[in-house]
Amino acid sequence: MRRPARLLTLLALPALLVLAWWAVSGGSFYLPSPDRVGRAFVETWFSERLVVDVLPSVGRLLAGYAMAALLGVGLGVPIGLSPRLRATLEPVLEFFRAVPPPVLVPLIMLLAGIDTFMKVLVIVSGCVWPILLNTVEGVRALDEVLSDTCRMYGVRGPSRLRRFVLRGASPQIMTGLRQALSIGIILMVISEMFASSSGLGFTIVLFQRQFQITEMWSGILLLGLIGLGLSVLFRRLERRVLSWYYGSGAARA
Amino acid sequence: MTGALKRGWYGLAGLGGLLALTEAVPRLGLVDERFLPPATRILGTLAAQLATPELWIALGETLRGWALGLALAFCAAVVTGVVIGVVPGLRALTSSTVEFLRPIPSVALVPLATLLFGPSLGSTLLLVVYASFWQVLIQVLYGVAAVDSVAADTARAYGLSVWSRVRHLVWPTALPYVMTGLRLAAAVAFILAVTAELVIGSPGLGAEIQVAQSSGAIPAVYALIVLSGLVGIGVNAAVRLLERRVLAWHPSVRSEVAA
Amino acid sequence: MLEISALRKVYEGPGRRVEAIRSITFDVGAGELVCVVGPSGCGKTTLLRCVAGLLPASAGEVRVDGVPVTGPPPRMAVVFQEYGRSLFPWMTVRQNVELPLKEKKVPAGRRRELVTGSLEAVGLGDVSDAHPWQLSGGMQQRVAIARAVAYEPQVLLMDEPFAAVDAQTRADLEDLILRLWRDLGVTTLFVTHDIDEAVYLGQRVVVLSASPTVVMEDLKVDLPPERDQLTTRSLPRFGELRGHVYRQIQRARDQR
Repeated sequence: MRRPARLLTLLALPALLVLAWWAVSGGSFYLPSPDRVGRAFVETWFSERLVVDVLPSVGRLLAGYAMAALLGVGLGVPIGLSPRLRATLEPVLEFFRAVPPPVLVPLIMLLAGIDTFMKVLVIVSGCVWPILLNTVEGVRALDEVLSDTCRMYGVRGPSRLRRFVLRGASPQIMTGLRQALSIGIILMVISEMFASSSGLGFTIVLFQRQFQITEMWSGILLLGLIGLGLSVLFRRLERRVLSWYYGSGAARA
Repeated sequence: MTGALKRGWYGLAGLGGLLALTEAVPRLGLVDERFLPPATRILGTLAAQLATPELWIALGETLRGWALGLALAFCAAVVTGVVIGVVPGLRALTSSTVEFLRPIPSVALVPLATLLFGPSLGSTLLLVVYASFWQVLIQVLYGVAAVDSVAADTARAYGLSVWSRVRHLVWPTALPYVMTGLRLAAAVAFILAVTAELVIGSPGLGAEIQVAQSSGAIPAVYALIVLSGLVGIGVNAAVRLLERRVLAWHPSVRSEVAA
Repeated sequence: MLEISALRKVYEGPGRRVEAIRSITFDVGAGELVCVVGPSGCGKTTLLRCVAGLLPASAGEVRVDGVPVTGPPPRMAVVFQEYGRSLFPWMTVRQNVELPLKEKKVPAGRRRELVTGSLEAVGLGDVSDAHPWQLSGGMQQRVAIARAVAYEPQVLLMDEPFAAVDAQTRADLEDLILRLWRDLGVTTLFVTHDIDEAVYLGQRVVVLSASPTVVMEDLKVDLPPERDQLTTRSLPRFGELRGHVYRQIQRARDQR
């Protein structure tokens, strides 16, 4: 397809949707028009709120997510490598994964109080399970022939871990990381909605309680953009890490 | 067979170990009992709770929100996905919108749900439907795209109508993907159902946990968390069973598509 | 160089025992190329894995240069049948060949020399920066062979390396193996289910029985050392040897 035509197909529907929004929003209290939301977006978020509320929220998310990734992969590799350990721990881990992560928020709040540490802990405790279980699965399913190849050619220890185990399990690890990212965003928001005096989730709920509808919509928009941005970043990382995987046709998508 | 049996024993040992640990740690005073009640007390509280009708009502509310939301999202996503897949050009036209809306975290809709529905089933449904819709839609789109182009040409050459093309070609091919989508969506829907109850206060397990937490009834909080985990396992198992039933005839053993 | 004596392998599962190998004894002299053939399911791969030290034997022993094998010996290389699965898909061809040398702590200059040399020897000098999955099956197996060659092994084991490639590629690869073996003088144990291939390549052919496996015959291949797909295979002696091995294997199968 030629470039202008392509651009048109990309933008046609979004443009239509915004127009429809405009048409519907006239005079509605709950649904302010897009231009008002846009203006409120700039006024609300390009202010000190960016530094006080938004960046700390995202920072906590990233910190918790990174810790969960380290923990999940770090524990998942030994569990995946040992059949006995795996058989012992799998039901326990499956149980922890089945617990909907948001229910941990009130518990951890009781245990750890209401501070940054608690919010990061909530994110870690929710994100770690999909990463852990997918790492276990990826390490378990490592190719036996490659494993024999490593043994034959004296690839062992840290080198085996780095060049074979982690690389071989990386498609599953990335799947786990992707699932964990969306859980992390959920937990970031609700840990702040629940008990906090700052942060993105808190601010948006505050707007809603004070019936600042336009600002509330701008907050929803911001959350959407953060979700979109993180997922775009993640996809880039994934393409990089897994280029061999997509190239080899092992992946379907 | 014997191997599976042995694994089962190991698994039981693991669960037993977890219980023993949660029993011993507070009993030995390593952690304050107020923060981590011993396993027996948690399970005792759970048993006592299960004897009350309130808990069953709450559980029913949660499952109702889950099932209703999942069903709505599923139907909407399947219809949307098949239409997008079958009508030429529609896929290219919608892709940017789908890619934009999909990553929006559904908790962003919490304030809107509160505003529109307050603490009621409506709030739960809004969050559940939004979150699970995309999970199914993406898989349906993969599935429709997987319809072999040769088979599609054959169908067209023999003059099959759009309807029979969907019924005999598109749907059977996409079915494994649809079921994968349903499985992923079921888990997400459960998380969001509980979230809505927890944050907005719609009736259900989440609200019960919230109440227990604000009254400082820590054993009850633990008991309800254990229960939610058990329900989560049940939900996953049910959907897996359904998936296996539906796909019993299907030749393809499909792995999950990266979504 | 390679001595296999009274090797026995019994798989012990919960509630059942399978005797895969009853007793196998034979030697491979330094610089010799010996082929092992047997009916399908006769434990050829089990034998090879025991020799490679990837699988502990139940009884008997394997010695390489007089040293008993307890794990993969340091100067032994293997080419597996599953070419697609024995190469690291996230590494380029060059990295695949280089990896064992890095582990052996071969200095960088010498490493480059070995990698380039072995890739050229198998005719892949120009695809060294490709990834294995971008190559055809035959080329992938060449990479695995190059990796084994670059490792400078004392003993080279090959486990039905050409079972999964097409006939033309197979003939090319057979000649490649003969050429490399002649150039390097490496002791080679070549496992195959293909009788023609065994007679064509081997200086000796060891015929195995059906499982539980014993050695049925240790046959010297008295064909001229210079071999060629066309002339060697049309020699009357080639036909005789092939017929002989074929009858042996037929007999092994019937005994089961």
